[in-house]
Order: sequence, then C-alpha cells, then structure tokens
Amino acid sequence: MLDGATRSFHVRRDRSRTLKELAVRGGRRRAQATVNALRDVNLRVGPGEAVGLVGRNGAGKSSTLACLAGIVPLDSGRAECGGRVVTLLELGAGFGTDFSGRENIYLNGALHGFERDEIEARVADIVAFSELGEFIDLPVRVYSSGMYLRLGFSIAAHLDADVMLIDEILAVGDESFQRKCLARISERMAAGTTMVLVSHDPSAIERVCRRVVVLDAGRVAFDGGVAEGLAAHHRLLGTVEGGSRSGRPGPGGQLDVVELDLLDALGSPRRVFRPQEAVQVRMAIRAASPADRVVAALEVRDGRGEMCFRSDTAVGAVDGTVEVSFAVEALALLGGDYDVAVGAAEQDAPAGTWLDRVARLSVTPVSDGEGVADLRGAWTVGDREAGVVAGGRSA
Amino acid sequence: MLGENTIKTHVAHVLGKLGLRDRVQAVVVAYETGLVAPEPRPPFDAILPCVLRYRFLFEQMVRRELRQKYKGSALGVLWYLVNPLVLMGAYALVFSVLLRVADIPDYPLFLLVGLIVWVFFSQALLAAAPSLVTNASLVRKVRFPREAIPASVATVQLVTFIVMLALVLPVALIVRDSLDPALALLVPIVVALFALVLGLSLAVAVLHAHFRDVEPVLGAALLPWFFLTPIFLPVEDMPGVGSRRWLGDLLEWGNPVAPFVSAVRDVLFAGQAPSGAHLLYLAAAGAGALVLGLLLFRRMERDLAVIV
Repeated sequence: MLDGATRSFHVRRDRSRTLKELAVRGGRRRAQATVNALRDVNLRVGPGEAVGLVGRNGAGKSSTLACLAGIVPLDSGRAECGGRVVTLLELGAGFGTDFSGRENIYLNGALHGFERDEIEARVADIVAFSELGEFIDLPVRVYSSGMYLRLGFSIAAHLDADVMLIDEILAVGDESFQRKCLARISERMAAGTTMVLVSHDPSAIERVCRRVVVLDAGRVAFDGGVAEGLAAHHRLLGTVEGGSRSGRPGPGGQLDVVELDLLDALGSPRRVFRPQEAVQVRMAIRAASPADRVVAALEVRDGRGEMCFRSDTAVGAVDGTVEVSFAVEALALLGGDYDVAVGAAEQDAPAGTWLDRVARLSVTPVSDGEGVADLRGAWTVGDREAGVVAGGRSA
Repeated sequence: MLGENTIKTHVAHVLGKLGLRDRVQAVVVAYETGLVAPEPRPPFDAILPCVLRYRFLFEQMVRRELRQKYKGSALGVLWYLVNPLVLMGAYALVFSVLLRVADIPDYPLFLLVGLIVWVFFSQALLAAAPSLVTNASLVRKVRFPREAIPASVATVQLVTFIVMLALVLPVALIVRDSLDPALALLVPIVVALFALVLGLSLAVAVLHAHFRDVEPVLGAALLPWFFLTPIFLPVEDMPGVGSRRWLGDLLEWGNPVAPFVSAVRDVLFAGQAPSGAHLLYLAAAGAGALVLGLLLFRRMERDLAVIV
C-alpha cells in the first residue's frame, strides 16, 4: 500500500557528497537537479490482487516497486507491505558470481529471509523449473542473461511469498519460458499471493493482471481495468501527429504516403474516438514519378497485432500528390488501441508489404462489451408469460 | 450453518454502515483509528536476536565473501599469513639487529603476536569501508538487513584471524612455555576485539557510502596509527616514554587497539593474565564500539539504496 507517496531523487553527475565539499560548504547542499520520481502516488493493492504497472520509461514504475519493497524510503507519505515480500527487481541481484546456481538458491532465499530448511524443501522444484540442467552446478558467472532470469525467477516463484514484486525482467527469457513464468505467476496468485508486475508487454499484463495502474511522470494516470488501462497507456505513448513510419517501407520508394490524419465529424484531427463515432482516415499520396495504376490500402490492427480490417481501392493514375480518404460513418470498434496503417503501391506490387505509414487510433472504453468489434447488439430478457420485463442495449 | 451469501450480506452491511467501499478500506480505517496497531520496527534491535534471526542469511553472506576472496589463488587463506610474516621479518631485522632498541627474548614471536591483532583490525576496516558500495546491486534491489554486508566482511577477517591464532598459539606455547590458565581469557578477548572491529566496520561502511573519501582517509590514517600502536615495542620501552608517564598512558589507553594488543600478548607471549583494568577496558571498548556503530548505521542507512 502506498499512501500519498512522494519521492524525489537528487540527480548529480558525481554521485555522492565528499568530505571536502562538506567542509567547504559547511554541510549545505548545493542546489541539485531533482527528479520527482513519485508524486503523491496512492496505490492500494489488496491481498491476492494482481496489478500491472505500466508507463513510459522514467514514469516511476521501478521507484514504485522499490518503495513498496521498503528498499527506498519515501520523502513523505507511507509505504506498507504486509507479509513476506519477494522482489525480482534486477537480474542476478544478490547472486554470488562464484557460487554455483545451486548455492545461489540458498543465498537468494536467505536474502529474502527464508531459512535453510524452507529453502532445502524447494531446491528440487526450483532446479526443475529453471530447466538449467547441468548448468545448475556451474558458477553463475558463466550464465547468459536468459539463464540468470531462469534461475532468479525460479527461486522467486518457489519461495512462499505473500507479495511478489517483479520488475520488467521477463523480457529476457525465451518465449516458452516466458509462458511458463506467466503460468507460474497465475498459480501463485491462485494460492493467494499478491502480485505487482511491471511490464512493457501488454499480453503479459493481460494474462495475469485484473487491474492496471498507469504511471506518468510520477503520478497515477489511470487505475482500473486491464483493457482500459492498456488503452490509456498507449494513448500516453501516442504517436506523433500525422502518423509515423511503420517500418514496412514501400518497394521502390516510387509512391509514398506523405500525410496521414484521423479526422472527426467536424474535420479536425483527433487520436481518440468514441465507439460509433464518425472517423475519416485521410492520406496524401505522392508519386516521385508518374504512376498509372495506383492502389491505396488501409489496414486496422488491434493492440496485439491481430488484423481487424483491411481494404484497398484503386486510385488510378497519380502524378504529383493526391489525397485519398476513407470515411467510416460509425466506428464499430470497442475500447482499445488500434494501429491504422496505410500505404500506396502500383497494382502489381506484392500485397501487405507496402503499408508504410501508421497512426495510432484509440477508442475510449465503454462499460460493457469486450473484444474488438462493436456489434451494437441489444439484450432483452423476457418472461415467457409476462413478456419483456427488462431490456438494455449492449455496446 | 452460515451460507456464503449470508456472510457477504453481513460484510456488505458492515461496510455500508461505516461508509466504506471495500474491505481494503476497512483495513485502512482499522489502522487509522488505532483498532489495529501496526507492528513497529524497534528502533534498536538488540544485536543478538538480530543475529539469530538472520543467522542463515549471515552464514550465506560470509560464504559468499570467502569464496570471492580466495577464488583462484593457490595459497588461499595462507596469503593472510604471508603478510604478517614478512612484516615480522622486516621489523625483527630493523629493531633487534640494526637498531638494537628491542631487548626482548624471542623478539620475532613478540612482533608476530602484535602484528596478527593489528592485521585483523586494519584489514577488516579496509575491507568493510567500501563493502556497501561494492555490493550496490544488492543494496539497491533486495530488502534485507544491510548490516549483514559489513558484518560478513568483518567476519571473513575474523576467520582468518582465528586461523592465524591457531597457527601461532602452539608455537608460542612451545617457545615461550606460556601455558597458563590465563590462556582461557583469550576467548573473551577475541570476542571483545571482534565487537570493536564489527562496530567500527559498520561505522566506516555506512560513512563511506555517504562520503566517498572515508576509505582513502582510513587507508592514510592506518599507517601512523600502526606506528603509534605498541606492536614492535611494549609501551614502556617506546622511545621517549621512559621519563614521561603521561605519554605512556596516552599511548596505551588513548588508542583502542593498544590494550587489545597488550592483552593478547600477555596471554600468548607472557603467559599471564592481563590486568583487571585492561580486561575492563576491552569489554567497554568492544561493547561501546558495537553499540555506537550499530546506532550510527541505523541512523544513516535510510537512503542507502539511493546513494550507493
């Protein structure tokens, strides 16, 4: 639990005070650049809850974890964390590099306050989970970062913690191990462990968390459901106006989408739309040299990269710059973030490889309805004899 | 039999009457109204329960230190014997052969006994001072009692000190024929010496984390300190002391290491019990250093995760 947590750090090039400075300045501190890592953050995580912590780099995620764990004290406010806390804040923190993996299990367990017999009972499980095989008896200095993660996570996940704080480290593991980690986290949660997970991987958050807290510049920008939270997070990350390069460049550079705008009903550019709102996707295509049979295409993908919609149209001959629009009367998408990718090419260019400009489209979440498509359905509940007694429209 | 829904209804009513959103808020209110008191961390845990509670962690940390220290060296722990032996040879040569100021039987052994005490003291402080900073990743990323770091470093030095005592003891007993019941006093003397070293180690470690000049200052101070400590001559034989008693008293009592050197030498070399004043001093110095070191550490450890 964090209550009105505020923490600022003094940031200086040379990190610590020296005696000379102390003597010369009589102990007064020089004006220092300060970074307010946390500003009045209120966060209550109940027992057994799993919270995903997201935000840009430098938003205060790691600071939040460090304060929760009691490693870093607060300038003001309170931080409390009940029960046994196991942290996984940095790969290999607290490993003895000349210790074998097995010896490090004991060292790491001891650092988290566990006794020899408690650890002994779990060593076999930890070794099996880590899949390190014979490496477990080699000193960890020969380990790769993925192996560090395997060992570190296996230890943390098998100590009976009441609270687990995990910083963005899972990304180092290969995909199968990441899946295994997430499954293990779910198991621990089922056993009643409280979890706070920092991750930049939306699918990881989605899989294990029921609640997302978005941090921005040391403040809580959003606290709530996972889908809305991730959408809010992506809005914060938002791409620059006019879209950005998609990383899928056109084949010859002959045709370029030079502008991409999302316009609302009044014709002004927007990023965030409500479901069922009118949206116009407007792009400007420029041909470096005259082209005869130009095709423009548009693709909408959701946050996980699944395609939701794709369409293209013949533009005809292009010489110079033409403007192409795609008008949607009522946006049939549910809350979330979508990528709108557009591109233009000669008709015979291989499809799908030339969508070179992308814009982020965020749809505000609605209270009911989950998924991608807004089907505009309506529920009716009726009693067979008395007829309809209640009805409601669903998103 | 109570059904689950009955309980839920009751809980909902209780929350409703208190005007609370959920059970978490109820816990918060319980704390705020003092209905439930959070367990306060005692500002000053006694050292013994602390050590007992984190015994296993401490043991693991000491093993880690030992491993890091002696990896890859052929002589391993024996290197610690080489240093005082070389010093012993050099001082024996200078003081008893060249300068002829020391007229002490078995002078090399006399030197060696003093030197191992000094080497323990100085090496422990020099190793403890940067220990928090070198273990920054640990301090920054894991929550555990940070005292364990300088304490484990000092303990590693204690281990080598005890190994050396074990090597010197039989030699002293044979050469000096100093077997005496007073030998049993060696144990409390070593305990008091360790308390002194531990307290000072905690202090220099946390000070060095805040002020990075502590280690070099310590390194510079230890050399003159060494010569002011009655290691190569007993205090009363030191040049200039003979006529001035106050100087002898100052050298003996003003330097916390000196009485330890004298006491260990009394027991090992002379085969006699140290004076009562000495024993009292050792106990007071050990306990005092430990308490002050711990207090200082507790006071200054707050921001450790940020400054190391």
